[in-house]
Amino acid sequence: MSESNRRSKVKPLIYGFLSFMLGFVLFLLSICLVLKFTLFSENFMLDSMANTGYYEMVKDELNDKLKNLGHASGLPDEFFDDFIKDIDIIEVERNYVSAFYTGSSTLVDTDTFKQQLLASINDYVEENNIDKEKADEKNILYLVDEASSIYVKTVTVSFFSVIANYINKLQTPLSMTLVGLVVAALVIAAIIYFTNTYKHRRYRYLTYGLGAGFLSVLVVPIVVFSSGIIPKVNIATRSLYNLFVGYFNSMFMYFWILAAILLFLTVLGFIVYRQKYLKAINS
Amino acid sequence: MHKHRTSHRSIGGKNFVILPIIFCVLIIGISTAIVYPSTSSFISMAKLFFSDGEKDFSTGYNNIFVPVEEDEDEGKEQTTEERKVIPMSTMKFPSYGDQFGELIIEDCQIEARLFFNDGANELNNGVGMYTGSSIPGYGKTILVAGHNNTYFNGLKYAKKGQKVKIRTSYGNYIYEINDIQIRDRSEESACNLGADYENLVMYTCYPFDELGLTPQRCFVYAKFVSGPALDNRS
Repeated sequence: MSESNRRSKVKPLIYGFLSFMLGFVLFLLSICLVLKFTLFSENFMLDSMANTGYYEMVKDELNDKLKNLGHASGLPDEFFDDFIKDIDIIEVERNYVSAFYTGSSTLVDTDTFKQQLLASINDYVEENNIDKEKADEKNILYLVDEASSIYVKTVTVSFFSVIANYINKLQTPLSMTLVGLVVAALVIAAIIYFTNTYKHRRYRYLTYGLGAGFLSVLVVPIVVFSSGIIPKVNIATRSLYNLFVGYFNSMFMYFWILAAILLFLTVLGFIVYRQKYLKAINS
Repeated sequence: MHKHRTSHRSIGGKNFVILPIIFCVLIIGISTAIVYPSTSSFISMAKLFFSDGEKDFSTGYNNIFVPVEEDEDEGKEQTTEERKVIPMSTMKFPSYGDQFGELIIEDCQIEARLFFNDGANELNNGVGMYTGSSIPGYGKTILVAGHNNTYFNGLKYAKKGQKVKIRTSYGNYIYEINDIQIRDRSEESACNLGADYENLVMYTCYPFDELGLTPQRCFVYAKFVSGPALDNRS
């Protein structure tokens, strides 16, 4: 076999491998980008909370739970309807989420809640002329403590503290990985582009890589949605369930968007390749 | 014509489909092989958080209670031998949250739906049986809870000798109040769940009509009078 023959057989293998590597890097880059803009983003969490009606549902659930407590403690449903109106759940939740992403103190402030509830109960006792003997201070404080505990459990997100801890630790490594992957993708694309003598071949191998990246990114949401696993999550409250389902549906929407971008680039690459190829033949 | 076909064949259209598919299979395969060993334990654990179907958040309840006609000798004290026996296989055992009966104490103006479970949803709609106790007819302790400001408010009128009626789809039961005690909520001895004789224990927060949460509970004990026995061997 002559030297030129051997070269002509090895070259496509090398460029094929580079295309594969480009596809792999684009796939990893897409995953990192999705994580960066969703799981690792405070704004994405706050947007998901707003879009899934989380705040309203938390307020309703808190109201229901406090009403249940009222059934065991002599307070009518209307009492809690009025009391809940004054609690700014959005502000409380925003502070709670921000605290995790900034790594500061994550305790929910219960002092204001307790003071407001105690004041409302005292007003209720006065307005309804309830006998002091029927409104023992110890029993009322016990009720306020129980209500406060329900309040904390309702406004906090289960396992969020554990997840947020990992998120804070992985923020910097993720950003560095993203930069590394972008550089790797550019280097591979540059090698393919600048080392190929024929223009149409540059675009052919780039298109192979982009196509592989597109298909790989597409596989992730297809597998997740076809398995139908997200709506089957076992979460005790409706607010958290809706937040979880809405959060992950939005997260996988990013995969669809990235897949669409890669598909567009693949088609564009193919069109350019075709033009260059036909031009080369004609000339 | 010939020239045109040749140029289209050599444009490599097939490769633009086949090669990305092969690369995609390799990418997913390699990624899975790398990621799976380090995440398999996490994936197994995560599976515990998923169920077979979508979760139902409705606050309604399932009612399996269909009243049965009263026996002629209902309320007449029965010995174990005199009790009518119902095979358990012929009755529908309630699921968590089901309304499976009614609890009535006419002297206390109590008439409440009886649920299998004593959670918040059940106590909002009636009185609830603690699922660690036994259903009527089983020959053991039946422990029923209710809120003192709603369905069990009438327990403040409870007196010894008053009759408690529990109606279920498989039979009607009569119990007679034989003791009333005020106990601390942490006192475990207030109710003997291991008793090998049929008895009913009802409890609620105490004092009644008090504002706030109270540490005491009012226990009303009732002995079995009449009603069919459930045979769990058949």
